[in-house]
Amino acid sequence: MEVKYINPFIESVDELFSTMLSCEARQGDVQVTRSMKIGGDIVALVGLTGSRRGTVALSFPSATACAVASRFIGMEITECDETVSDAMAEVANIVAGGAKSRLWQASQNEEPMSLSLPTIISGSDYTINYPAGAVWLQIPFSSELGDFQMRLIFVPGGNGSDK
Amino acid sequence: MKVLIADDSVTMRRIIINVLNTLEITDIEEVSDGQAAVEATSAKAYDLVLMDWNMPKMNGLEAVVDIRAKGNKVPIFMVTTESEKTRIIEAIKAGANNYIVKPFKKETVIEKIKSIQGATA
Repeated sequence: MEVKYINPFIESVDELFSTMLSCEARQGDVQVTRSMKIGGDIVALVGLTGSRRGTVALSFPSATACAVASRFIGMEITECDETVSDAMAEVANIVAGGAKSRLWQASQNEEPMSLSLPTIISGSDYTINYPAGAVWLQIPFSSELGDFQMRLIFVPGGNGSDK
Repeated sequence: MKVLIADDSVTMRRIIINVLNTLEITDIEEVSDGQAAVEATSAKAYDLVLMDWNMPKMNGLEAVVDIRAKGNKVPIFMVTTESEKTRIIEAIKAGANNYIVKPFKKETVIEKIKSIQGATA
């Protein structure tokens, strides 16, 4: 997976936090991992398909998820319920959508990629499988709402290109 | 002003309702897919429809096409993460009147709704 795919997602996280959560998401060092274990109590996954196929996974500790959902919706939420899951799904959807648009602008008029509907995984004992040898990029973030992580993977899509 | 919100995300519907309430708009109905939006606009008159794009059953673009095919001229604003220029052109050609890209600033939504609020009040 090429590094050029990272920035659109990081910019998208930045934009979401600054416009709808009124705070800054500070990016940590990008790491490469083959581990299928993604930490966090709530993981929101969105798939992207088209000339490339990829997945973005945002993982949140419960406290961060509640704080983000509270700020997002404008009401105090203290327990990770369906409201929080739905909010994290929308966060992932917006991040993926923003990145998709940025990737399209850089792709010189390819057909825009499509997004899957978000998937939410709750709990702490799970493994996410992807094709053997696949490498995830992991980006930690910190914010006044708490820490969270983003993981990305991209592989060649239907036409085999991975420009 | 009577507003219909079509979005499969409960979260996004709540956020939009919060924005509408600041404009003292409280006559609001919600649906979670495009098909339900088509049915709602066939059954009732709305002053504005705020339409997501990616929804189950029927997406927002297909819903706009269906609503316009029925001769309904209700103002429709797309509220979506689909922000590529080609997508915006597609939606406008299908009959959407305005376009709000997620993530949005509350002020952006207020400004766009105010632009039609006087005409429908």
